[in-house]
Amino acid sequence: MSIVFACAASHAPGITAWTEAAPKEQADKIIGSYHRLQGMLDATRPDVLLAISVEHWANFFLNHMPTFCIGRADHYYGPVEEWLRIAKRRIPGDAQLSAQLLDHCLESGFDLSYSDELLFDHATMLPIHFLTPRMEIPVVPLILNTLTPPMPSPKRCHTLGRVLGAALEKESKRVAIVATGGLSHWPGEAKHGKINIPFDKRFLDILTTGDRSQLAQYTHEEISREAGSGGHEIRTWITLAGALPDWKATVLAYEPVVPWATGCGVVAFSRP
Amino acid sequence: MSLYELQKLIYHVNRDETQRERYRHDPAAFISGYDLTEREASAALDLDIRTLYMLGVHSLLLRPFTLIHKVPNEDYAKALAGLD
Repeated sequence: MSIVFACAASHAPGITAWTEAAPKEQADKIIGSYHRLQGMLDATRPDVLLAISVEHWANFFLNHMPTFCIGRADHYYGPVEEWLRIAKRRIPGDAQLSAQLLDHCLESGFDLSYSDELLFDHATMLPIHFLTPRMEIPVVPLILNTLTPPMPSPKRCHTLGRVLGAALEKESKRVAIVATGGLSHWPGEAKHGKINIPFDKRFLDILTTGDRSQLAQYTHEEISREAGSGGHEIRTWITLAGALPDWKATVLAYEPVVPWATGCGVVAFSRP
Repeated sequence: MSLYELQKLIYHVNRDETQRERYRHDPAAFISGYDLTEREASAALDLDIRTLYMLGVHSLLLRPFTLIHKVPNEDYAKALAGLD
C-alpha cells in the first residue's frame, strides 16, 4: 500500500491572489475543501507528494517544449508570481524517487524529459500551499504540456497514469498525489471569464460515477471548444484517474467562480 | 511574420529581470534586437494589445506583458472585445 492519498484540484490564481473578489460563499467552499484535503493528507503521513502539474511559461519556451517533464532536483523554488500572495519558498524535492520514476517510465515506453532545476508557478505552488503549508513534504513535480499544441492526448495521459500508478504501488515510500488544473477557463483570451458548467459537471460525473475509460476519449478539439485553453489542464486529472482506476472519486466542491474566471473543482480520491 | 521572435521578445521581458530593465530603458532599441516584421515591431512598441493578440501571441504571454505595463483587467478585456 504505497499510494496513501490522492486528490485533484483547480489552481485558479484568484484563489489566493484575489480571494475577496469572489462571492464569499464560493471562496469558502473552495478554500474550505482545500483545507479538508490538507487534513486528509496529513492523516496519511505521506513521505512524498507527486504533483501532476502544468506550467505557464515559467520554465519552458518554444525553443524546447517538453511533452512530459519530471523534476529530478533536491529542491525547487516558487512561486514565480510576485502577486500570488504566497511567499517565495524553497520546496524540498525527492531526487531519488524522481530518478526511479524516470527510469520506470523510460523502460515502460514513456520517454519523459527531465529537469534538475524547475521553478514552480501558481499551478504547482497553489496546491502545495494548501496541502502542505509548512512545505516540508518533498515534492516530485511532473509537468505536462497543456500550454501550447501539440499536447499529449488525453488517452496518452491516461496511459501514463497507469504506468505511474504501477510504479508507485510498488514504492516503499508513502506517496501522496495531487493533480492540478482546470476545469473550464479561457485565461487572458477574448473569452476570458467564460465558464462551461455543463462541460465541467459532465467531466466530474465521468470521474466520480461514470465509466472512466471515457476520460481517455476526450479530444483536443473538444476540450478547446468546450473548456477553453485552460481546460486542457484536465489532462493532469486524467493522468491521475489512469493511475488509480479503482479508487473512488468524491467531489468536495465545484464552483463556477466568475471573478476567478474558472470552473473550480476539488476532488478527493479514496482507496476501495 | 515571425511569431516565434515576437513571442520570444515578450517571454524575455516577462521572465528575465535584466532583459526587462533593458526593455524599460529603451524599448525601441530592445525590440530592434528581434527579427520582426514592421507590423510586429510597431505592435510591440505601441503595446497594441489587439494586434498582438490577432498576430497569435499566446494569451499567457500577452497578459503578463500587459501587466508589466500596468494595464488593468477592464482595459485588457476592452482591447480584445469582439475577437474569437
